[in-house]
Amino acid sequence: MSVAFRVQIYFFLICLSALKGQSRYLEDNDITQDGMFSILNSEIKRGLSEGLLYRRPLRCIDMLTMEGQFTFTADHPQLHCAVFFIGEPQEIISIEYSSVNIDCNGGDFIKVFDGWIMKGETFPSSLDHPLPIYDRYIDYCETGRLRQAVRSSQNVAMLFFRIHTPGSGFTVTIKKISNPFPCNVISQTPEGSFTMIIPHQHRNCSFSIIYPVEIKISELTLGHFNDLQVKKPVTGCGRAGDFVELLGGSGVDPSKMFPVADLCYSFNGLAEMKIGCDNTVVRMVSSGRFVNRVVFEYRLLERPELEKQKGNSVEDFCYTTD
Amino acid sequence: MKTTILVLLIASILLVSHIPPGVCRPMGTNTFNRHGYKIQDDHVLVKSGDNGMSYLMGEKLLRYLERNPRFHKNLSQLLPDDVQFVKVLSTKGLAHPANNIQVVDGGEPSREVRLEDFSELSKRAEDPPISIDLTFHLLRNMIEIARIESQKEQAELNRKYLDEVGK
Repeated sequence: MSVAFRVQIYFFLICLSALKGQSRYLEDNDITQDGMFSILNSEIKRGLSEGLLYRRPLRCIDMLTMEGQFTFTADHPQLHCAVFFIGEPQEIISIEYSSVNIDCNGGDFIKVFDGWIMKGETFPSSLDHPLPIYDRYIDYCETGRLRQAVRSSQNVAMLFFRIHTPGSGFTVTIKKISNPFPCNVISQTPEGSFTMIIPHQHRNCSFSIIYPVEIKISELTLGHFNDLQVKKPVTGCGRAGDFVELLGGSGVDPSKMFPVADLCYSFNGLAEMKIGCDNTVVRMVSSGRFVNRVVFEYRLLERPELEKQKGNSVEDFCYTTD
Repeated sequence: MKTTILVLLIASILLVSHIPPGVCRPMGTNTFNRHGYKIQDDHVLVKSGDNGMSYLMGEKLLRYLERNPRFHKNLSQLLPDDVQFVKVLSTKGLAHPANNIQVVDGGEPSREVRLEDFSELSKRAEDPPISIDLTFHLLRNMIEIARIESQKEQAELNRKYLDEVGK
């Protein structure tokens, strides 16, 4: 055989082997929306992004949903300040300090809390977060100078600070980082939809909606899909195994809320539930043996819907109906 | 001879390393776009005008918190009817008093805004975790205002991008 012919045979063989690995399917995670065209746009984006960082002053009590640079300057002693950060469900928050001018020895502090804490209740609850509550505070005075940036574990975070001296202050730069498998989410809106997936992880995840809503679950998969698409039934609920629960309450902590419904078996169809509580949570408990998934939508319960049913409501519990 | 071996090696490696298609792919987040996120800010946007609204909200909130003359930290100075004992998230289960500021604003019903004691953190186990008390109503309003601000800024950014690209 001639050399050229052999080279062709070898090339053909390599191509066949490469295609056998199914790598002919280009996998696009949708994580970076630019995809393959980011190379083309990078020049334009780099030129623009430097000049387009959003900046504004930070208030003592504030809520931030955007990336940008926020500066707080105390014009009088501010002893009880809190800033809430909330992003999209598939984002986590990165907080970086710069130009910090506070008197740590004089009682000033800046602390980042991983989650939200209101009235002593935390989201995610202490059952759903790997760290104990005091370890979820990251103090600038203790560690901030060493750290590059602080990252939250979910789409919410908080900043607590106290500044005694007028004229002191600090700047924080907020960035959002994409999180492909969000666990523990607070929804920014009273309406929307979400797919929660826990892929082979032993953890519990909560999706919190701080409104009274009607939840429609369109798909629930608890268990393992094998090649024949046969779903193994999960051994019941009763707080064991993998399941999804709907909770209602008036605080942010899912572990202190009332269970309204338990969903123990996979199904494909519409299951609706109205929960008239200030906070509604869809919580998935996963053992880690399976890939669990729940797909649901939610919409705000309007005042007439809430008032109509109040006559039947149970004392000290939010109104629920199927 | 060497090339033959090399080629056979590459081929065998590629055949052996089977890359399975992803089983754990989340569904695309745009699957439900037809239902969509109903943006509730249309009427709020019309009413708000420029971003003076967000500053007004913040300033109002600060004034609520500072207006009350009984803004103490000391247990002994708290009036008995206003004392609310809030259970603390510590293993010792100590109860600490919380400041209770009653706020009455014009025609609106009184809203309670309570701030827990921001005590020194020298002894962590005995001190309550730093927290803030806001009603859900306030929290929801703050989120809506922040979203409007974010949408305005995004619109501004889009305009700048298009201006840049259109040159």
